[in-house]
Amino acid sequence: MAQWYKLVLYYLWIAPHVLLVGVPVLMYVRRLHKDFPIFFVYTLYETFEFLLLFVAYMIGRDTGNLYRYLFTATLVGSTALRFGVIQEIFNNVFRGYSRLETLAAVSMRWITGLLLLAAISSVLYSAGAVPENLLGMIRLLGRSVAIIQAGLLLFLFLFSRMFGLSWRSFVFGIALGFAIFASTELAKWTLELTNLTRYARGLLDLLPTGSYHVSVVVWMGYLLAAEKPVGTPTHPVPELDQWSGELERSR
Amino acid sequence: MSPTLLFVLIAVALLAVFAVLATRRTKDLADLDQAFTAIRLLDIEAFRNLVDPEEETFLRARLSAQEFRRIKRERAKAALAYVKELSRVSLQFARFGDAAQRSPDPAIAASGRQIANSAIYLRLRALDASVWLAVSAAFPSFDPRSMHSLLEQYDRATYLLQNHNGLIHAQSPVAS
Repeated sequence: MAQWYKLVLYYLWIAPHVLLVGVPVLMYVRRLHKDFPIFFVYTLYETFEFLLLFVAYMIGRDTGNLYRYLFTATLVGSTALRFGVIQEIFNNVFRGYSRLETLAAVSMRWITGLLLLAAISSVLYSAGAVPENLLGMIRLLGRSVAIIQAGLLLFLFLFSRMFGLSWRSFVFGIALGFAIFASTELAKWTLELTNLTRYARGLLDLLPTGSYHVSVVVWMGYLLAAEKPVGTPTHPVPELDQWSGELERSR
Repeated sequence: MSPTLLFVLIAVALLAVFAVLATRRTKDLADLDQAFTAIRLLDIEAFRNLVDPEEETFLRARLSAQEFRRIKRERAKAALAYVKELSRVSLQFARFGDAAQRSPDPAIAASGRQIANSAIYLRLRALDASVWLAVSAAFPSFDPRSMHSLLEQYDRATYLLQNHNGLIHAQSPVAS
């Protein structure tokens, strides 16, 4: 691969993780780690995972076996934590809306079931075309997880919008970052299941690191940005008194 | 279409939807004027009349079966239009309440929370009512559920909004 490729690859691999270190630090400073403990743990986990994988990559550059095994092992934890973060977003968005929370929980269970079904169907459909080795299985599983996570986030965005709930800036930022990452992961795992040339595969490696970079910038941006001012009226509306009088008379 | 192309297209579509949702977020902020305009435009008395069970009994007694079915279908369609508007109003209420509950003033925040909860319940009732009215418009012999709880919820939401306005009135510099 060309020199520019190596530069871009290293940049996209290292830069987001360097930037990510700032996220838990800022969260701790702003006491947000108490509201989002799973996301806080996730950012720490991702940082340590990167350090581990980077060292493994440098040590075993010739064979890459150590890196592959560590990547697979840490991917499990990363995936589980992402599901935890989605649950955390859900809890945060619907907190205080008991009636809606119940409906949202039931709907989310159904949506999860349907997405799971879609994911299983996609695995069954592609099973014959995928090499029966660990990497092939991981790619299939990765695509299924991306389908479920992107679908759940889409549901959360649309359902809360349907009932006029606005999200706190940081919650929105976390969800948006994960949504971008899950969507690109869906494309990445899908394309990895096809017979790509070495060059194309190399270029494809830039996609998840690039989207992860965007996600980290989104998290950082929403964390740094002040909470948007909300449209709370600070003055009474005289018309409302007149209107409510009319309403009383009409009853 | 190959599954690969399908999944890649889904991924691209998802990215586009998320981008739209992110850009629309700022436009979805609560607008009090919009909420009041929506309330003013809604003729709630006409709607009460349309879904009044006594009115329906009266019409049933006076009209032939065929004529009653035609009128009932028309009334259900008109009521459905009102319910859709009511649902839109409830969304404005919910956005307003959701925004108000972030006020640093505990009384305003508590009032906002009540408005948001009430508006959400109103929207749920409106969605439920629109299903029943749509069925009733398609099959006039079908008796839809009473709209009593929907109207009750609307009254409660508007009462809470009125109280909220009173709270702000009491705290505004003009009042003091």
